[in-house]
Amino acid sequence: MIKITNLEKIYRTEEVETVALNDLSFEVRDGEFVAVMGPSGCGKSTLLNILGLLDDPDAGSFLFNGVEVAKFNERKRADMRKKNIGFVFQSFNLIDELTVFENVELPLMYAGVKKSERKARVDEVLEKVQIMHRRNHFPQQLSGGQQQRVAVARAVVNKPKLILADEPTGNLDSSNGNEVMQMLTDLNEAGTTIVMVTHSEHDARYSHRIIRMLDGHTVTENILV
Amino acid sequence: MIKNYFKTAWRNLVRNKVYSLINILGLSIGMAACILILLWVQNQLSHDRFHKNLDRIYIVNNRDIGDGGKFAWSWTPNIMGPTLKKDYPEVADAVRYVEGNNFLFTVGEKKMVPSGAFADPGFLSVFSFPLISGDAKNALAEVSNIVLTEKLARSLFGADDPLGKIVKIDSNAHFKVTGVLKNLPDNTAFDFAYLLPWSYKDKLGWTDSAWGNNGLNTYVMLKPGTSQATFDQKINKITTNHLPGDPLYKNREVFTQPFKDQWLYSKQENGRYIGGRIDMVRMFTAIATLILIIACINFMNLSTARSEKRAKEVGIRKVVGAQKKGLIFQFIGESVLLSGIAFLFALAIVIIFLPGFSTLVDQQLHLPFTDPLFWMSAVTFILVSGLLAGSYPAFYLSAFNPVKVLKGFFKSSTAAVNPRKVLVVIQFTFAVLLIISTFIVMQQIKHAQARDNGYNAQHLVFVKMNGAIENNYSLIRNELINRGAVVSVTKSMSPITERYSDSWNFSWTGSTEEDKKTDFVRMASDADFVKTLGTKLVMGRDIDIFKYPSDSNAILLNETAAKMMHLKDPLNAILKADDIEWRVVGVVKDFIYQSPYEKVQQLIVFGPKSWFNTMHFKLNPANTTRQNLDIVAAIFKQFNPEYPFDYKFVDAEYARKFKEEQKTGTMAALFAGLTIFISCLGLFALSTYMAETRIKEIGVRKVLGASIFNITSLLSGSFLKLVIISCVVASPIAWFVMHNWLKNYQYRISIGWPVFAGTALLVMVIALVTISFQSVKAALSNPVKALRSE
Ligand SMILES: Nc1ncnc2c1ncn2[C@@H]1O[C@H](COP(=O)(O)OP(=O)(O)OP(=O)(O)O)[C@@H](O)[C@H]1O
Ligand SMILES: [Mg+2]
Repeated sequence: MIKITNLEKIYRTEEVETVALNDLSFEVRDGEFVAVMGPSGCGKSTLLNILGLLDDPDAGSFLFNGVEVAKFNERKRADMRKKNIGFVFQSFNLIDELTVFENVELPLMYAGVKKSERKARVDEVLEKVQIMHRRNHFPQQLSGGQQQRVAVARAVVNKPKLILADEPTGNLDSSNGNEVMQMLTDLNEAGTTIVMVTHSEHDARYSHRIIRMLDGHTVTENILV
Repeated sequence: MIKNYFKTAWRNLVRNKVYSLINILGLSIGMAACILILLWVQNQLSHDRFHKNLDRIYIVNNRDIGDGGKFAWSWTPNIMGPTLKKDYPEVADAVRYVEGNNFLFTVGEKKMVPSGAFADPGFLSVFSFPLISGDAKNALAEVSNIVLTEKLARSLFGADDPLGKIVKIDSNAHFKVTGVLKNLPDNTAFDFAYLLPWSYKDKLGWTDSAWGNNGLNTYVMLKPGTSQATFDQKINKITTNHLPGDPLYKNREVFTQPFKDQWLYSKQENGRYIGGRIDMVRMFTAIATLILIIACINFMNLSTARSEKRAKEVGIRKVVGAQKKGLIFQFIGESVLLSGIAFLFALAIVIIFLPGFSTLVDQQLHLPFTDPLFWMSAVTFILVSGLLAGSYPAFYLSAFNPVKVLKGFFKSSTAAVNPRKVLVVIQFTFAVLLIISTFIVMQQIKHAQARDNGYNAQHLVFVKMNGAIENNYSLIRNELINRGAVVSVTKSMSPITERYSDSWNFSWTGSTEEDKKTDFVRMASDADFVKTLGTKLVMGRDIDIFKYPSDSNAILLNETAAKMMHLKDPLNAILKADDIEWRVVGVVKDFIYQSPYEKVQQLIVFGPKSWFNTMHFKLNPANTTRQNLDIVAAIFKQFNPEYPFDYKFVDAEYARKFKEEQKTGTMAALFAGLTIFISCLGLFALSTYMAETRIKEIGVRKVLGASIFNITSLLSGSFLKLVIISCVVASPIAWFVMHNWLKNYQYRISIGWPVFAGTALLVMVIALVTISFQSVKAALSNPVKALRSE
């Protein structure tokens, strides 16, 4: 599904140049669950943003389902993104002005799904993440774990082929964290490819394979299954 | 999706009440001001536009060479109209019209002196004043016909049908009502309560066939397809050709002006009508636009300032699939929604203030709710302000990079020149510009008001000499003085506040042929001109027919006239007019009888051999005005019983000369006040916002030892700098604009630096007060709280 080769990303500010990704190459196959680990600042989030087509690399190739997307323009990226990719962030990133239901509904709206179908699909995922009873609440009225469940619901509602999760449990206690990890595992078992950044060895154990990074580079790969 | 946008917009609105309120309030006030001005502009532009034949009607003007260039005027000779109609086949009709009738109307016991006009029978066909009853073609056909407006008809005849009823005019003539007109609309230059046929003017002997006597307006309606230019060419020399060989008329030109331009272009320069009300219309349209822009700038600034709060939303929407286009649509839609809400508020404000504003501009303005055009303009207005206000935030917000935003990398720009600062500068530049202009307009009015008018208007009253006043003049005069109500009396040709007559073709000791072209304003007196009016004698004495019987041929000159005539010794100089010889008995100091903004023109006060129609008298200062007027009224009732006693105070009449400028001044002040208010609303919101976003920085600084003063000046300083830049930018523009405006006035102030310095100081203080609310509050806040909230 994903094949990156010699990927490079450099951040330039007035004083310094930071090489965030340096000659990075790896592959993720369909249906895989990959965890990315490494010390703070090694480029994990940068990588995830590029995989999620939120950002573009400075050099290298990025094949998504066999299509070269590294040089896509903003419009094409947005299009590709909304059809194929779901995101889960450490800090949930729900829109404060929208209710749980409306937040989850949003990707479907941008995908142009009809209203009746939207309702059915949102209700279905909300049921699955057990947040149905809070569907008309605003994010501020929910606990962190509940918010992250909404975020996961939003990430999967459009049935993406790939879910990118950046420290999805980082702001959660262990029991809420485990619940989210279980949800991701279930999704993966249902066929969704997952790439997850984490600092937790515990969480990483849910995955099939761990990619360890250092200074924008992969250093080792541990295959768990 | 639209519903989702709408929901987000609405919840944002409700959640940020202060911002929303300021945002909507600022925009509504701006819109309301803009709507009010545009209603007035629309009223001005609609003047006399309702006539069906509008495109074919022209007013006939003269042009000649006078002192210092060409000049034009719209008074024409009596013979002009009939001649145009008779000799020029392209003329469909030519009608004469003159206002200023003060006949006594009697119907049964009812007496009144309404003001009316004489008009040719074609008047009602050329112009489109709708008749309620009667027939436009024949209503003025007979010499004893009269056409009334509905209002006058009602006050004369009550509920009865006026058609065919008889009105007695003065003491002898009877007129049959042959038409009733709908009351004249507010947007017409014509002003009459009734129309009398021109033939009655002929019958009274008030007309002549002299080509040199200009005392009425002539309107021509050309046949369809006639070009004005060709017609003008044909009639250009009509007066000269009828006065062959007369050197005084050899340069006289006759030309037409489209009637539809008459209202807006009444000011002439070098013999051409190039400006007038249109200048005001343009100026206030510009002001309306400025105010709307300022209000929209507020909106832009607040929206972009708040964008950090919306940034997360933008980031998330992008992550889940929104494209830039959709986001732009969302934010523009949101601002159109807000502008729609603001428009509703604006309408409410307009409805509340419309009566007051109508009084101010002296025009009855209405919101044309039933006019579909109004609603179309309203929608356009909302869209335009929405787009104007929303486009910048929309593009700004939608361009956020989602990665940076979600990572919290996004920071408001602190660059030296950022769009928000530029917008604040633009806003305050406009405000400062308007304030300086207002101050200068007011200074100019004050300056003219403070000008010595050369006479004493206190206790000075005048009455029109109608009915039996002329015949009983001596009796009235004696009675007024003997009964102690009045200290002195003089007859004259016009109220001292007006010029009724001017004339040329005079010669005097040592005058040249060229001097015959000098135009003198004419006044008249029997006696006590100086004593009654309080003008000052420079030399000689007052005219006094009672003391010197030969004074019926005496004249007074004003100083300008004496200078103009190059008289070494003005006293006893002889002036010849037509075949009468007049002798100068005195010279009076120049006094203002016309515009206080212009220099005083040469004037001659003629003795009793000329004509009179006004009587001035000075009330006895020893009594109260009420006592005096009671006695005066009784005396006039006794000697002129037919007519109601009608009088005017000279000081009140003089004050009216400032009305136009005062109107301009008040409007300018009003809108300048509004602009600065709206700008400060924006500044307030921006400073609130800034204090909020810098709360952590402030906390850290305080922990490190910054004083409240340090913090306050840190926060206020940046804004104050912008205001100072605005003053610097606005001042030269204001100077330029107002310098040009002042050129309209011969008697004017020169613009000094204090008005600029004063305005700058004023605006800075206002801005500082506005900002300091927030900066002091922020400076006083507890740093521990601020830091803990992180
Ligand atoms: N917008 C940016 N501008 C400049 N440098 C950046 C930017 N974003 C990231 N960096 C730098 O790139 C490097 C990689 O950052 P990245 O966020 O990918 O790290 P990370 O592995 O996700 O770290 P963490 O585990 O702390 O989240 C860091 O050194 C960071 O300082
Ligand atoms: Mg990271």
